Amino acid sequence: MDALVDKIRGGERRSLARAMSLVDQSGADAEALKDALRRETGDVPWWGFTGPPGVGKSTLIDALLGMLRERGRRVGVVAVDPTSPLSDGALLGDRVRMMQHAVDLDVFIRSLATHGREGGLSDATLHCARLLELAQYDPVLIESVGVGQNEVDIASVADICVVMLGPGYGDEIQLIKAGLLEVADIIVVNKCDTPEANRLLAEVREQGKRQNVESRKSKVESPKSKVESRKSKVESPKSKVQTSIARGGSHGLASEAPPTEIIGIEAKSGKGVDALLDKLLELDRTARGTEQRQRYRHRRILGEIKRGVMLACEQNLDRALTAPAAKELLAKLERGELSLDAIVAQLGATPARHN
Amino acid sequence: MDTSRPKRILIGKVGLDGHDRGAKFIVQALRNAGYEVIYTGIRRTPEQIVRAAVDEDVDAIGLSLLSGAHNELFPRVAELLQEEDAENIVLFAGGTIPDKDIPHIESLGFRKVFTPGVPLAEILSAIEGELAGRSDGGGAIV
Repeated sequence: MDALVDKIRGGERRSLARAMSLVDQSGADAEALKDALRRETGDVPWWGFTGPPGVGKSTLIDALLGMLRERGRRVGVVAVDPTSPLSDGALLGDRVRMMQHAVDLDVFIRSLATHGREGGLSDATLHCARLLELAQYDPVLIESVGVGQNEVDIASVADICVVMLGPGYGDEIQLIKAGLLEVADIIVVNKCDTPEANRLLAEVREQGKRQNVESRKSKVESPKSKVESRKSKVESPKSKVQTSIARGGSHGLASEAPPTEIIGIEAKSGKGVDALLDKLLELDRTARGTEQRQRYRHRRILGEIKRGVMLACEQNLDRALTAPAAKELLAKLERGELSLDAIVAQLGATPARHN
Repeated sequence: MDTSRPKRILIGKVGLDGHDRGAKFIVQALRNAGYEVIYTGIRRTPEQIVRAAVDEDVDAIGLSLLSGAHNELFPRVAELLQEEDAENIVLFAGGTIPDKDIPHIESLGFRKVFTPGVPLAEILSAIEGELAGRSDGGGAIV
């Protein structure tokens, strides 16, 4: 395994490509490599990009690739597309928009399928990003699948989170519902060559202002208020643990973080992308502090642990629900001997033992 | 969890040929058949195709070509794969390719050449047959 790690670090492209296939699987070799990667990486900021399908994520990344290359940076990209729930197949089409960089050896693009995992990323995303880091790509860009609501995995993986919006995906109520705005370091409104996008940009700015006022107010009134600073990424006590792990939890950046930047662009022509890149590079510099690195590294690993435990719990539960004993529970419920709450408590106690 | 991953196939169009209905049809059919399909889009160079295929660690490349330039572009792709030491990637081709050119293309290492009118089921079973028994990507590197 050490030999493989050395080869990848030394820039052997084929080894890197094949290692990415290895970490997309399970098995002893794959797990050994993943553990080595956890030890060997964590110093490079990862930039995450998310937003609805068709909003222009790949086009933006293509534009950023060109500009980062001009600045002499070696850039790695992990692009995730959804696996078909029916066939297990996937169409990985993000590359179509990035082909001009296909022969540049200082760019490495890898397409991944979600393999049916919710949240917009596959398990292999993390490992592939670590592999790119090991191979001296810096920064590493991660393109999440087009998200809908409640899909904020990207926030637990990326150090810098860009949420992209565009015209035609609903009004500002949708933005509030989506929960994506809470995880964004930068909100990008694309297609700003259209009046619809400019209206959206104005709405988002308006909402951003409101949210900043609200978070300031809540901080003064009660530090434990539900709406802490948006940047604390720890939402209400009821919010998903995922989010609290996602954005730092109790050891998060919390209140010192700057307000979310809102930038209008036109990815296709590149208009506004230079301003976006400046902001990204600024966040990138901040993210390189020793303390920050430690925190991001831990956050990723905690996220991995959490996903692993959740998967195990889910499997336990599936087993419990298909076991003969489950029929007995149903019978008791129908006879009125057990309440639904009691059944939930009984089943919930089993996986909880592992925590 | 699955220990294996679906087979990966890159579908690409080389040269100055903007007609990609056929390629997109195959892309969708392969996806529905359970493959992970990386689509490159139109007007790619052999260099772009091979670089993408190697970086994506695909099991196979399918080239679609309707412009008549297959005798120039297909050999170049095969040659570049050799240079990259990636001949383990299986090559397929499809498009308006005259019967008389097929033996030459097959001699370059292309396992199958699909011409217009070949039923989809035949294409899928041919690809499945060629890729069956291949070990999963990264297994051999450790």
